[in-house]
Amino acid sequence: MNVLKQLLSDRAASLGAAIILGLVLIAILAPWIAPYPEDVTAFHLSERLQPPSAEHLFGTDRMGSDVFSRILFGARITISIAVIAVGVSVVIGVPIGLVAGYYGGFGGGFLMRTSDVFLAVPQIVLAIAIAQTLGPSVENVILALSLTYWPFWARLVYAETNTLKKQTFVEAAKALGASDYRVMVLHILPNTASAIIVRTSIGMGATILTAAALGFLGLGAPPPTPEWGRTISEAREYLPEAWWYAAAPGLAIFLVVMGFNLLGDGLRDILDPKLRKGSR
Amino acid sequence: MRRLEIILSRLVWFIPTLFGLVFVVFFISNVIPTDPARIVAGENATEVQVQALRVEMGLDQPLYVQFTRYIADLATGDLGKSLYTQRAISDDLLHRLPATLELTFAAMIISIGIGVPFGVISAVKRNSFVDQTLRVLSVSGLAVASFWLAMELQMYFSTKLGWTPLNGRIGGWGPDEITGFYVIDSILAGDWESLWDTIVHMLLPATTLALPAAATLVRFTRAGVLEVINSNFVLYERAMGFPTPLIIWKYVLRNALISTVTQIGLIFGALFSGAVVVEAVFDWPGLGTYAVQSILQSDTKAILGFSIVVGVVFIGVNLLVDIIHTFIDPRTIQ
Amino acid sequence: MKPTILALCSALALASPTLGVAQDRYVHANNSGYDTLDPHTVFDVARVATRLNFYDGLYRWVDNPPKLIPWLAKDHTVSEDGLTWTFNLRDDVTFHDGSLMTAQDVVYSTERLLALKRGAGSLLLPMIDPGQTVALDDKTVAFTLKEPSAIFASLVPNILIVNSKVVQENEVDGDMGQKYMIDHIAGTGSYTLKRYDPARGFVGERYAEHFAGWGEKYFDEIEFRTVLETNTRIQGLMRGDYQGLDGYLAPDQVERLRSDEDVQINEQESMRVYHIAMHNGRAPLDDKNFRMAMVHAFDYDGYINEIMQGTVARNPTIVPGNLWGAPDVPGYTYDLVKAKEYLDAYKAEHGDEIRTLKIGTLAGFSETEQTAALMQNGLAQLGINVEIESSPWPVISSNMQNPETMPDMVPYWKSTYYVDPNNWVGELYAKRYAPTRNVSSYMNNEVDALLEEALVITDQDAREKLYKEATKEIYDDAAGIWIYNTKWFGPYASNVKNVRFCPVGNGQDMRWAYLEN
Repeated sequence: MNVLKQLLSDRAASLGAAIILGLVLIAILAPWIAPYPEDVTAFHLSERLQPPSAEHLFGTDRMGSDVFSRILFGARITISIAVIAVGVSVVIGVPIGLVAGYYGGFGGGFLMRTSDVFLAVPQIVLAIAIAQTLGPSVENVILALSLTYWPFWARLVYAETNTLKKQTFVEAAKALGASDYRVMVLHILPNTASAIIVRTSIGMGATILTAAALGFLGLGAPPPTPEWGRTISEAREYLPEAWWYAAAPGLAIFLVVMGFNLLGDGLRDILDPKLRKGSR
Repeated sequence: MRRLEIILSRLVWFIPTLFGLVFVVFFISNVIPTDPARIVAGENATEVQVQALRVEMGLDQPLYVQFTRYIADLATGDLGKSLYTQRAISDDLLHRLPATLELTFAAMIISIGIGVPFGVISAVKRNSFVDQTLRVLSVSGLAVASFWLAMELQMYFSTKLGWTPLNGRIGGWGPDEITGFYVIDSILAGDWESLWDTIVHMLLPATTLALPAAATLVRFTRAGVLEVINSNFVLYERAMGFPTPLIIWKYVLRNALISTVTQIGLIFGALFSGAVVVEAVFDWPGLGTYAVQSILQSDTKAILGFSIVVGVVFIGVNLLVDIIHTFIDPRTIQ
Repeated sequence: MKPTILALCSALALASPTLGVAQDRYVHANNSGYDTLDPHTVFDVARVATRLNFYDGLYRWVDNPPKLIPWLAKDHTVSEDGLTWTFNLRDDVTFHDGSLMTAQDVVYSTERLLALKRGAGSLLLPMIDPGQTVALDDKTVAFTLKEPSAIFASLVPNILIVNSKVVQENEVDGDMGQKYMIDHIAGTGSYTLKRYDPARGFVGERYAEHFAGWGEKYFDEIEFRTVLETNTRIQGLMRGDYQGLDGYLAPDQVERLRSDEDVQINEQESMRVYHIAMHNGRAPLDDKNFRMAMVHAFDYDGYINEIMQGTVARNPTIVPGNLWGAPDVPGYTYDLVKAKEYLDAYKAEHGDEIRTLKIGTLAGFSETEQTAALMQNGLAQLGINVEIESSPWPVISSNMQNPETMPDMVPYWKSTYYVDPNNWVGELYAKRYAPTRNVSSYMNNEVDALLEEALVITDQDAREKLYKEATKEIYDDAAGIWIYNTKWFGPYASNVKNVRFCPVGNGQDMRWAYLEN
């Protein structure tokens, strides 16, 4: 509760939270709030590439569909890619980091070296290799992002666990006969939570950008999916005349990533007092 | 002694990490649904021709044999031939590497040029209007999709205003390639026109690439400088009546430099991977364009080679940064 | 300071010729990379410029409608049995190194093409075996075919002649000079190689001693540069960075270029048929009623008039309407009522359950994506689900060549590789080309007999009749969805004159063109 209060008192962070809340609402309510919900698959060829007007807030695209409606539906894809990919990364990365950090030794070293292999190449490069191999689809984008993103969480939790396991309260729990599993899950994990939450918020933004880039390169969802990155690459052929076509999805990406970054920043300030002292 | 130990332990891990990378990427790229032999054979080939090629390319062998062969070739610097063009992939990548590095360095200079001063200003004028504005801008810089920004900048500055060239590294063919870095080659050839043309061509792509990195730098520099400003020795000197600009110059910048160097590995990675997409927008004849083309042609071998080269450059730079770091920031050794 | 200024002046002085004052220069922006210069390993339209400008064949395709003119050969004769083709070569042809071209070079080039089995080689292999090309003397060469062929003459221009001495000198481990020829040229063509960078393109310099001579005006230098992004090519032409582009542009782009007075659009009938290949071998598409429903579910008018803005002509069958051998049929129309009737007929026989159909599209070719989306839209109204999968051309083309992996439908173009109905109807629907080029798994014995006969007889009228009949039958079978025949909109700077367009080569044969000031 305290966290929430603090969050609301930070203007930037609450703006971020509001943007994300808006995005989630839009994603859920898209079929009802979009002015032309049928335009995800329906075309009006005689109305191609019309500039923004009262009828079409963000103009129309190459098939005569309403850009605004498609952007709203695109939010669904964006949010599901980000949530699932980051979710999977957390589910894979956190246990690995926890186990490796707690037990250390050769096994722990091996796990961390494995994660280093994935961190050795920029994420987008590996994601490109995977997505290109598996073929373009939303599922494969999610898979590619998850496979390349988990090491970030593993690293983070590994470092935290490494420090925490030497703390007195862990020693005490062990002395009282708690099992390793119990110590990890009940004593260490809760103490890494804030770091995980901060990393997750910022990771969402980064994931959305990478997913959009894959879409832009033609590795994402097939047409006529209203994915934002793909829409931008479609729009490119019609620049500079149809400026609205590329501007709308670009701004949508910007807004959403900004939301996650602001929230992440705010959360970091609140949850991580060490950093707070430094940056405030 | 401790320094040597750190450097050695990093070096020792270089080879296994690289091996792991090749292992991962190799097996990923072999899940591919296409038949490389058919791509090589071309559209009009018959089944018999394709089968012959499969044998010739070793594709009839089990995967572990193919992997062993690949590793053996890799050890001699041979990344195989592109499926699509039949060119040696290592030649192709080496030929394009300078273009990407030149762009990355230019972007690095721009991002440091923007990031560090603004970070210092932001810290010194903490919580002022300037600081708030810079905070918003730096968060924005990290939120923009670079390919989109690249397109919009190109549309505005090149298409509409005509101030900058549309695409490419240089207008004509440029100076004879000695190093492959056109800035250096132009200077070596004394060809000032080419030098200018090269710089003008770099402006938009390098700026696009630099913005997110600059945003990161602003944030880190700010935090780093604040830490120093609040430290006891600065407070002491201030109490002693030293003028603020002198204090900033003497202590703060030195320490800001350390935090920047720490970030360089990170920033280099960001710039280098950002180049993949930005190059594609500006037709920059570097690794990124090569990768995108290979994607379009499903040239798995080329993508494999590309990932490995990027990985090597990336691991190498991080290694270098770690080593430099042990020299300029003695704390790491303790 | 002084040396710097001097250097600057000399640099400017050196640079000025490239600014286009003294020499006429043509810069072409191409939509894909020039990753090899070898004329025998590639055979695609995207990289045709190197083959046309650096190399020559015995005959050459020119103009539109395309005609074959004698080129390195003066003429040829065919033996009674139609098996032996004898070509008389010119005696004044020199390679770029000054040496004389002889029959031996023709033999070597043919053997190289057949041995490498790539590029045009794979088209020739079914007709002629290695070792069947003989130099009768220095200036006469004879090809002995496996069986009489009506289309051999059409393929002769693709046998590009390389300098056998140079190539042989640069052989490594019996690779027939493959490693060398990627980066070098050894030809007789109108231009010689000046600079080459696989990442950027190439520059050719006029070969003044070319045997065919030169007109009064010409380009001294031609540069073909790789510019992958369509929009960048368009903007570059409008800015004057380039003098010409590839001519198959989307109508929105053509429209934009038309509005620019520094740009001319050279509009030509072409032969590049756009169609949706259907998998005739897999249920439910193996049923004629179902296919009839398909051909009536595509909005031809919407596509041609709105998306293509009327820039292309409806082509009712697979044979280009402007070529002989095309039957006179009206073409199917977008009629969902009719489609429904056929679908009901299908359902009455096979039940109501219809699986989701898969359409494969070519990543990066937005027209195919738009086509698939339109088809999806039409079929949705019939209650049929469609899944679209976009993949790069190499992936999709390799999938298409295997009946197991061929998607249910694939929209794509069939370009002109040689001007004969066999290029279209034969390759796409004859049994002998399955599954590599006949990707539809279309098997019809009657049609096959007609197409086979047309391949071996040489009487033009009889062949025309055979092709019309076969094509009509394929049309009646609704074996595919044929949409349009492309027009070529060659965009050039206004002062570029005399571009000789030919559907084979797409107007990139630069020896005829020049700049008018």
